Amino acid sequence: MALNGDEEDFEWEPPTEAEMKVIQARRERQDKISKLMGDYLLKGYKMLGDCCEACGVSRTGPDFKSCVMRGDWIWNVSSDISPALTSSAKISFSRSSVSSQAGVSVPQPRPEHCEGAAAGGRALLPPPVVASTLQPALEEAEEAVLTKLRWATTQLQSSASLEASIQLCSLIGSCANSLRSLRELSQ
Amino acid sequence: MVPVEQLHLSHVLQTVSALESIVLRSFGPEGGQVLFTRDTGQVMLSRNGKRILTALHLDHPLARMVVRCVWKHSTITGDGSKTFVLLLASLLRIIHATATKEPHMFQPHNSTEAAEAATARHLADRLLEFALTELDELIVLNVLPHGFCVSLDNFTAETQHNLSCQTLLVSFFRTRLGYAYCDFFRNLFCELLSHWKVKDDRPSFSIQFLNNSFPALHTQVSGVPVSCSRLIEGQVIHRDFATPCPQVRKQPLKAVVFNGYLQPKLLATQDVLELRCGDKVTEDRGIVHFSSWTERSVESIIATLQSFGVSVLLCALKQSSAVLAAATQAGMCLVECVSDEEISLFTQLSGVTPISDCWRIHPEHIATLTFCKPLLLGAHRNVHLDFHDCEERLKVKPCSLVICAPSEAQADQHACAFQDAFRMLLTALEPVCKTQTALEETIPSKKCTSLHADNISDETACRVHPHQKCVTETGCVISAGGTFEFLLHHALHQYGHSCSVSVNTSAVVPVSQLLAKALLSVPRQIYSHNLKHFLQAQTRVMALIPKQPHALCANFIHTEGPLGDGKLSSCKKGNISLKFLDLGLESVSCKYQLVLAVLQCLTNLLQTNMVLRTHTVLHTKSHDSLNAHLESSEDEDED
Repeated sequence: MALNGDEEDFEWEPPTEAEMKVIQARRERQDKISKLMGDYLLKGYKMLGDCCEACGVSRTGPDFKSCVMRGDWIWNVSSDISPALTSSAKISFSRSSVSSQAGVSVPQPRPEHCEGAAAGGRALLPPPVVASTLQPALEEAEEAVLTKLRWATTQLQSSASLEASIQLCSLIGSCANSLRSLRELSQ
Repeated sequence: MVPVEQLHLSHVLQTVSALESIVLRSFGPEGGQVLFTRDTGQVMLSRNGKRILTALHLDHPLARMVVRCVWKHSTITGDGSKTFVLLLASLLRIIHATATKEPHMFQPHNSTEAAEAATARHLADRLLEFALTELDELIVLNVLPHGFCVSLDNFTAETQHNLSCQTLLVSFFRTRLGYAYCDFFRNLFCELLSHWKVKDDRPSFSIQFLNNSFPALHTQVSGVPVSCSRLIEGQVIHRDFATPCPQVRKQPLKAVVFNGYLQPKLLATQDVLELRCGDKVTEDRGIVHFSSWTERSVESIIATLQSFGVSVLLCALKQSSAVLAAATQAGMCLVECVSDEEISLFTQLSGVTPISDCWRIHPEHIATLTFCKPLLLGAHRNVHLDFHDCEERLKVKPCSLVICAPSEAQADQHACAFQDAFRMLLTALEPVCKTQTALEETIPSKKCTSLHADNISDETACRVHPHQKCVTETGCVISAGGTFEFLLHHALHQYGHSCSVSVNTSAVVPVSQLLAKALLSVPRQIYSHNLKHFLQAQTRVMALIPKQPHALCANFIHTEGPLGDGKLSSCKKGNISLKFLDLGLESVSCKYQLVLAVLQCLTNLLQTNMVLRTHTVLHTKSHDSLNAHLESSEDEDED
C-alpha cells in the first residue's frame, strides 16, 4: 500500500510457496475459530476464563464445558494442517443455560437479566445425575465404534475386491455418523 | 495453593479476535444488525457496538477488560466502539507476527513464549510512547489540512456547502439510527441545542450541561410513532402528584424542594428513644405522645409554607401519610421520590437551594414557577412545570425532550444516540494539538522511537518540516469513509521511512510502521464488500496529498487560537472535494482519542501475563459502575 514501496522491494523477500501455504492455513484456521466463537457468543454461550488443555478433548460436567475445536468439520480441517499448527483453541465455552429460543437476548434493563445475552434467560441446566449415568455408556459406545472404524480402515487397505471395498466404505461412513451423533449427545 | 495460569500472546489474540468477529458483522455502512430477544418476547435490532459487547456473557478476564475499555471510551467520546475492537485486534495481530518473527529482539529469554511476550510488551510500550509524543503533531501537519472546522455557534443555520455541525450530526445519527430518522433527529437535536445555548458563551458550556443533565432532561415514551418526538417547554418530573392537584392558577406558583422527611421518622430497628421532660426521663409519656408531637410539627411546617405562599412541594424521599393528608388539606401539590438528577436540574434552573432542615425555611428556598400541572406522556402521568423569568435570569429557554418510539427498547436506543451525540460533540471540540510547538529544522534523535533504542546515536536525526506551528484547532472534521486512516497511514509511513533511513539500520522497523499497517484495517473493513471501492477510496485520498511536503506548510494558514465567533477557521479548503461530503463527516479529535485509547488498552492487555483463579468473585469499581449503569437504566424503565 505504500507509495514509496520501491525502496522497500530491494530489502523484502517474498515468502516461499510453502511458507505462504502455512501462513494462509494458519490465518484461515484463526479466522474460522474466531467466527465460531463469535457465533457461540451471540447465541448466548459464555466465554469461560479457562483454556482447553488439549485440542479436541471435550469436558463434561455441570457446566457442560466444551472446547470450540470440538466439532466435526473443525476436526477435519485441523487434520489437514501441519502438526505445528494444531495447538488447541485455547478458549473454552459453556452453555450457561439451555434454551430453545433462537437469537440473542438483549441486555435490556430488567431484573432477570444480568449482563449477558442468554436467550433462554435463567433456565436450569439438566441435573448432573443424568449426565453421570449416560457418560460412561457414551464413552464405551464411542470406543467400540472407533475400534470398528480402525478395523474397517485396515481391511480396506488390504482389500482387493470391489464389493468388499464398497461395503467397507459404507461401514466407515456409518461409523463416522455414529461418532458424530455420540459426540453431539455428550455435549 | 491458588491455581495460576500463564497467559500467552496467542490467548490474548484469540480472545480479542473473537470479539472482533462479532463487531465486524455490524461494522461499516453495509454492516448488519444484531437481533436481541428478551424472555418476555420483546425484540430489538441494534448495531451499537457498546450495546452488543456489553450484552455478551464473558467470564474471560481479558475479554472483560477489553469490553470495559470499550465501554469507558464510548462513555467519554460517544462513538467508535466497533472501530476500537477492530483496531485493537489488528494491532495485536501485527505485534504477534512481529514478536513471533523476532522474539529475542530486545533481550534473550529462556523460552520462546517468554521472549515473544516480552517483545510484545516492549512494542506496545513503544507504540504508546510514540502516540503520546508524536501522533498529535503528525495529525495536525498531515491530516488537519485536508479537513475543515465546523462552527458550533449557530446550530440552525446552514452555510454555503453545508459545512456546519449539522452535517456532522447527520452522519452520526445515520450510523446509529439508520437513514430513516437521521434528518429528523438532527433537526430535533439542533433545536434543543439552540434553546439551551447560553448567549455570549462558549457552545461547549451548554453541550456539557446538556450531557450532564440529560437523564433529567428527556422522557421516553413508547407505543407512539417516532415522528411524535418533540420539545416541550420547562421541565418534566417523571413522577405523578401524590396529592390531588388543584386547578391551574394563573398567577406564578411558589415551590420548595425538600431533601429529607417532613415528619421525623419513628423508631426503626435497634433504635433507642429516650423521652425526657426537662432533666428527668419521664415514664408516663409514651410513643403515642411522641407520634402526636411529630404530627403537630408537620402541621406547623405546612403552616409556615402557607405563610410564604408555597403551593408546590417537591420531595426527594417518600413522605408519610400524615404529611400527605396535611398537604391535601392545605391545598398543596406534593410530588415525592423525585430523583437526584431532577432535583439538581430544578435547583439550577430556579436558583434555589433544597431545604434540609424543615424548621428553617427562608425565602432563598422558595422558587417561582409559571405553571405546575400534570402531563400525560404515553401511559405515565408526569409533572410538568416551567420557571418564572428563567430566560431573563439565566439567558436560556429551558425545554425538555420527549423521545417517542414504538417500543421501549427503540426509545432507549434513540435516547442513547442523543446522549452520545453530546459526548461526540464535546470530544470534537477538544483540540488535537494541546500546546503550540515550534518544530526546528532538525530534531534530536530521541524523537525517533525505533525498535532498537540502543542503536540510536547523537548524529542521527529525523527530517521534519521546517518552521511550522501546531495551532490549537477545535471542531475539526474530515470526511468519513477511511480518509483519516488513509492520511495518517501515509504520514506514519513517511515518518517511519525517514526514521529508518536516518538511523541507517536495515533491521530497524519503527513502531510508526506497525501503527500505519494496523490503521488500514479500518477502511479495509469499511469496503470489505468491494475491494475495488477500497482501492478507489485510497487513490482518491492519496491524490489530495501534495507531492512536495513543503507545499503543505506554505499553504497552512495560522490562527491565533480557538475559533472566534462563528467564523470558519482557516483550515485549508482548496483541496477538499465536495464529493467527500456525501460520505459524511467524522471528528478528527474523536479519531485521535480512539487511537490513544486503543494503544492504552493494548498496553494493559499485554502487561497481563498470568491469571490467578480465586474462589470468590472480585468486583472492581469499574465493573460495579458498569453494572450500576445497566441497573439504573433498569430502574428508570420500571417506573
